[in-house]
Amino acid sequence: MISKREEHLLSTLTETSGRFYRWIALLLAIVLWGLYAYVHQLRHGLVVTGMRDEVSWGLYITNFVFFIGISHAGTLISAILRVTHTEWRRPITRLAEAITVFALCIGGPMVIIDLGRPERMLNLFRYGRIQSPILWDVLSVSTYLTGCILYLYIPMIPDFAMLAERSSLGAWRRRLYKKLSLGWTGSPQQWTLLERSISVMAVVIIPLAISVHTVVSWIFAMTLRPGWNSSIFGPYFVVGAIYSGAAAVIFSMYVLRRVLRLQDYLQPVHFRNLGLLLLSFALLYLYFNINEYLTMGYKFEGIEKEYLTRLFFGDYAPMFWTVQAVGVFIPALLLMAVLGLGRHQSFTIPGVALASFLAIVGAWAKRYLIVVPTLSSPFLPGQRIPWEWTHYRPTWVEWSVTAAAVAVFLLIYALFSKLFPMVSIWETRDPDAVPVEAEAAAPAPRGWGAISSIPIILITLTLAGASLAHAGETRKPRKPAPTALSLEWQALPADKLAAASAEEEPPDAITAGRVQHSLSQLFGQLHFGSKNAEEQKPPSAIALKATLKDERGAPVAMQPVSFSLRTSFGLVQYGSRPTNEEGKAELVVRERRYGRYPVLVAYGGDEAFGGTRAEISVDFGLRPAPGLPTAGVLIAPYATAAIGLPFVIFYGIMWVVYLYAFGYLILWRVRRAGREKHPN
Amino acid sequence: MTLPRRSFFQFLARGTGAVVASWAAVKGISATMFREVLPARSVAPTNQKWVMVIDLAKCDGCRDCTRACGTMHFVPPMQEWVKVFEVLDNPAAGRYFLPRPCMQCDNPPCVRGCPVGATFKRTDGIVMMDQERCIGCRNCIAQCPYSARSFNWGEPQHTAAELSMPYSMEYNYPHRKGVVEKCIFCPHMLRAGKLPACAQGCKMGAIYFGDELEDAVTNSKGETIPFTKIAKRGAAFRLLEELGTEPRVYYLPPASRKYPTPDEKKALEMHS
Repeated sequence: MISKREEHLLSTLTETSGRFYRWIALLLAIVLWGLYAYVHQLRHGLVVTGMRDEVSWGLYITNFVFFIGISHAGTLISAILRVTHTEWRRPITRLAEAITVFALCIGGPMVIIDLGRPERMLNLFRYGRIQSPILWDVLSVSTYLTGCILYLYIPMIPDFAMLAERSSLGAWRRRLYKKLSLGWTGSPQQWTLLERSISVMAVVIIPLAISVHTVVSWIFAMTLRPGWNSSIFGPYFVVGAIYSGAAAVIFSMYVLRRVLRLQDYLQPVHFRNLGLLLLSFALLYLYFNINEYLTMGYKFEGIEKEYLTRLFFGDYAPMFWTVQAVGVFIPALLLMAVLGLGRHQSFTIPGVALASFLAIVGAWAKRYLIVVPTLSSPFLPGQRIPWEWTHYRPTWVEWSVTAAAVAVFLLIYALFSKLFPMVSIWETRDPDAVPVEAEAAAPAPRGWGAISSIPIILITLTLAGASLAHAGETRKPRKPAPTALSLEWQALPADKLAAASAEEEPPDAITAGRVQHSLSQLFGQLHFGSKNAEEQKPPSAIALKATLKDERGAPVAMQPVSFSLRTSFGLVQYGSRPTNEEGKAELVVRERRYGRYPVLVAYGGDEAFGGTRAEISVDFGLRPAPGLPTAGVLIAPYATAAIGLPFVIFYGIMWVVYLYAFGYLILWRVRRAGREKHPN
Repeated sequence: MTLPRRSFFQFLARGTGAVVASWAAVKGISATMFREVLPARSVAPTNQKWVMVIDLAKCDGCRDCTRACGTMHFVPPMQEWVKVFEVLDNPAAGRYFLPRPCMQCDNPPCVRGCPVGATFKRTDGIVMMDQERCIGCRNCIAQCPYSARSFNWGEPQHTAAELSMPYSMEYNYPHRKGVVEKCIFCPHMLRAGKLPACAQGCKMGAIYFGDELEDAVTNSKGETIPFTKIAKRGAAFRLLEELGTEPRVYYLPPASRKYPTPDEKKALEMHS
C-alpha cells in the first residue's frame, strides 16, 4: 500500500536530525529577541522606532504588504491548478497552501504591531467604519485567512486518517491525527464529498485572493499622496504579489527538496513549470513597473516631480535601481537562461531557486520603496523639524521585530513540516489507486454570482428653503433727549433677488445641477458636489430704512446715520448713509446670511441734535438644518449601503461558501458518512 | 422543438424572479443594516458653520498663533497644530509665510479613512478628534495632504495644569501616548463665544474667524467683515484646492504685503 517514496516522506515526520534542532533553536532565539524588542516598544511607545510625523509608516507596514504578497500565490496557484485539473500540481499544492496560511498569520499581526494603541484593537469591531480601507483589510484578510486554513486543511483529511493508523508514530500524534481526520474512513461517498468541497473552495479562493491584494493596495491608493494616488495600484499589487508569492513557493520547494530529500516528489518538471510562471510574472511585473513609473515620469507633474526626482536620481535612487535590477531584471534574465537555453538546463533547479530568492528579496525592498518615499515627499514638506523626521531610518527595534517575523514564519513552516507531511500523500498516489468515481469539479454553487448590481438607496439632503419675506416689525426707538431714530427692514422682492443672483450663476449651472441630481438618484450619495447645498441659496437682499426725527417728530435731513450688524464675534460695519429731506436713510445689504441678527443704527449727533441709536432684529431667512457636508457617504459616521453592501456581499458570499464547503460537506456529511460505515 | 424554447422562457422568468427577489432582499437588509442616524457627538452644540480666513498679506511670520495654540492646548513639544510655513511657489516669486491650521475639510480624507470614527466631521464643520477611541493606526496621517496631524510617538511631556483638567474632545488634552492629535478650532472657546486661540493670539489681525452662515468673520482686533465680501474681493484661495478636500480655511493672497517677506526678514536679522 505504502510505496517507497511515501515511506521516505513519512520518515521525515519522525526522524529529526541535530541540525533541525539547532535551526529551531536559532529561530527561537531570534523570535525571543524580537519579542524583547516589541515589549520595549510597548513600554516606551513607537518613539523607539524610526517613524515620525512625516514618515509615519515604515518597516512594519512594509512587512505587512510583503507577507500578504507572499501569501498570495500559494493558494492561488494551487487553486488554479486544481480547477484546471493539472496533474503535475499534486506534489506542490500542500507546501504552497502552507506558505499562504503562515504568511498571512505573520502579515496580519504586523499591522497590530504598528498600532500606537494595540490594546484598543477591538475598537475596530466596536466602532468599525466600513468606509475605511483599514476595515476592508480586516474584512478581507480575515476572510482570506479562514478560507486558506480550510483550503489547506480539507485536502489533508485523508492523510490524517492514514497517519492515525501508523504505529511508528507516537501515541499523542496518532490521537491528534485521529481527531483531525473527522472520522474519515475513505468510503466512496466521503471521497465524493471531499472532492466537491475542494473544488468549491478552489473556485471561490481565486477571486478572494485577487480581492485581498487589491484591498491591500487600496490602503495606499485611497490617499491623495504622490506615488500612491494611482488607479493602477490594485492590479499592480496583485501582479507583484503573485510574482513574489510564486517565488516563495519555488524557493520553499527548493529548500524542502534539499532538506527533506523529496527529490522523488519535487521533480525538475515542477521547477520548470513554476519557473516559466515566474518568468511570465516577472515580465508582467516589469510591464506594470514601466506603466506606473513611465506615466508619472513622462509628465513629471507638480508634486509627483519631487517624489520621482528622489526616486530616480535622488536619495532613493541607488535603492530604486538596485531593486529594479535585482528584483525584476536579473531574475528574468536568469530564468530565460536556465529555462530557455538548452545548455543551461542542468542548472534549472538551482537557477530557478536563485531567481526566486532574488525576487523575494527584491519584493521586500520594493514594498519599502512603495511605503517610505511617498510618505517622505508630502505636499507641504516639513519645515523646522529635525533631519531624522524627514529621513526615515529604521531602528534596531524595527529590524528586530522584522527579523522575528521572518523567523516566526520559518519556525512555523519547519514545525509544520515535522508534524504533517509536506506533500499530499493521497493526491500523489497513482490516480487508479484512489477510488474517486465522482466527477471532481463540482461547479461553484450557482446564483451567488448573480448579485452583481447593488441597489443604492438615495438620501438627498434637502435644504430648508429660503424664507419668505416677513413684514418688518418695528421697535420703538429708545428715547434720548432731542432726536429719535426708527429703523425698519424689508426683504427685497424676489425679482430683485433673481437679478442679483443671475450674474453669479453661470447659465449652464442649472443643467449641471439637473445632471448631478439624476446621477445622485442613481448612485446615492456617492457624488461629490463641489457646492454645499446651502451655498446654492442666492444672497438675501435686505433693505434697512432708518428714520431720524427730532423731538417734535419733524424729520432731520442731511445727517449721517451709521448701520452695523452684530454677529457672534463682532460688529459688521456698513458705514453711514445720509438722511434725505424726509429724514430717511436706506441701506441695502446683500449678503448670504441666515438667521436673526440685531441691526444697530446710530446717529452721532451734532451741535443742534443730540446722538441717538436704535436696534432691530432682522431676519435673514431660516438657517439650514444642521447636517454633514454633501460629500456624504464616505465621511458619514454611520455605515451606508452604497459603500457597505459591496464588501458585505462579496465577503459574505465567501463565508456562506465556507459554511457549505466545510461546515456542511465536511463537518456534517463526511462525519456522518464515516459513522454509517463503522457504527460503534 | 417547442420544449427548449419554453424552458428557455422559464429560465428567463425564474431568473427575473430571482433578481427581483434578491433586489428586494438587499434593499430590506440595507434598510435595517445601514440606518443613517447621526450620532449625538456629530451634532454640534450650535447650528453654525465655522470658517477661517487668513490674510497672508498681514502675516509677518511671528508664530504667535503657534504659541497661542500651544499654550491653550498644552501642545506637546515638537508638535505644532498651527504651523507657519515659508512657501516658495516658484523660483521667481518671493517667499511668503503661510500659517497652516487644520483645514477642517468638508470632504475630509482623514475622516474617510479612519477605521473607528475617532476622527469625525461635526455639523458645524469641525473635524473632531477623539483620543479615547483612536487606535493609532496613522491612516489619517497618510490621508491628510496638509500634514496637519501629529502623533504622540512616546509619552508626551505633561504639565501640572494640563493634568489638572479632565480629558475633553473639545480641547484635546491631557495628551496621551500613541494617538493622533490636531488643530480642532478650539470648540470650547467657541462654546464660550470667544475666538479660537490662534485668531485671538495673532497680533497682526491676520486670522479672521467666524460663522459662514452669519456671513461674518472677526479677527483679534475686533474687525468684523462679511465673509463673502472678504473672500470675493480678496480673491481668497484654499490650499491644494485641486485635491477636492473643500477646506474651511481660506487664504487671502500675500499681495502688497505690509511686513517684511521671509527673505527680507532673514536679511534684517543678519544685519542686526
